[in-house]
Amino acid sequence: MNQMAKFGLILGIICLIATLVLALTYEVTRPKIIEQLRQEEQAALKKIIPDADSFELKTLDGVEYFEAMKGSDLIGYCLKVTGSGYSGYMRIIVGIDPNGVIRGVSVLEHQETPGLGSKITEVRPDETEPWFLKQFKGKSAKAVAVKKNIDAITGATISSKAVTDAIRDAVDIFLKKVRK
Amino acid sequence: MVRGNLGEFVKGLWKENPTFRIVLGLCPTLAVSTSVANGIGMGVAATFVLLGSNIFVSLVRTIVPEKVRIPCYIVIIATFVTIADLFMKAYAPLLSRSLGMFVPLIVVNCIVLGRAEAFSSKEPPLKSIFDALGMGIGFTWALIVISAIREVTGNGTIMGICISRQFEPPLFMILAPGALLTIGALIGVINYFTLKVKAKAK
Repeated sequence: MNQMAKFGLILGIICLIATLVLALTYEVTRPKIIEQLRQEEQAALKKIIPDADSFELKTLDGVEYFEAMKGSDLIGYCLKVTGSGYSGYMRIIVGIDPNGVIRGVSVLEHQETPGLGSKITEVRPDETEPWFLKQFKGKSAKAVAVKKNIDAITGATISSKAVTDAIRDAVDIFLKKVRK
Repeated sequence: MVRGNLGEFVKGLWKENPTFRIVLGLCPTLAVSTSVANGIGMGVAATFVLLGSNIFVSLVRTIVPEKVRIPCYIVIIATFVTIADLFMKAYAPLLSRSLGMFVPLIVVNCIVLGRAEAFSSKEPPLKSIFDALGMGIGFTWALIVISAIREVTGNGTIMGICISRQFEPPLFMILAPGALLTIGALIGVINYFTLKVKAKAK
């Protein structure tokens, strides 16, 4: 057999083994990972609207959101928002009351630069929630804007704007649809 | 001179320190050394990957033909990193949240490929383990030193704890120029003293 074919074959076999091992690991870990993500989501929902006793997942024109229920009363919505940050997408959950006033914001996942953009989830030592996200509380969702009523993180204006714009745009579209 | 397995471990700490002496893996070093917590996170994650990749590469070193070794190593390293990432996400979500963002940076870390090429492709697994541990810890302490300097000067904190509110920290120390200045100055200082010691020995 000529050498080139032999080398190719060996490389091919190594790639094949690697693929098999990866596929197997993916299959084994996938249900666990989905479960972890679901738990994380539930924890975030409870933190955003603590007085709700159940969250119902609904879909409207392809947008997934939760209805926060207290007994049989609808006390708010939690929207799943995807923002486009400095280096990749971010998954955000924003809780609003029926009037569009923000109850709380939680960033579930992001790929921002460690030490700069990652400060969107930074919690100061003597506090319990991220200082950047806390600014959104109690503000009308369609009016939030960096420099206007939201302070940007020093050196991470793009990340700050990404969170703010994603929330404002998503909530704006959502409220128009829901009130239709 | 320390010899044997211990020698392979010790060399990574100082004499062949990946950051200060071999000057490998600078991209992740520049990106991550903005705070001490990040430095430790990256160091631990990289040590773990280095250990796994060194063992695997050393085990297959007799099967892999020399001409296609680099693609083979890259496949092995990328597979190992992804498996580690998946398991962390599934079984250690807390760890994954703090180390997860370093994973994509480790795949492109030249130290891992560098050790595969320069060491574990030629040496037995046990020696490779010691080499990986030494290099990993060497990388970690280098990151801690660099990030401590940058966090204190650029953010006024250490490990997130505020040191002084007396001055407005210069932001550029946390940005890329601060990293280049810090690493350059440290390598300069280290080289100066090593040369002095060498001159004395003569």
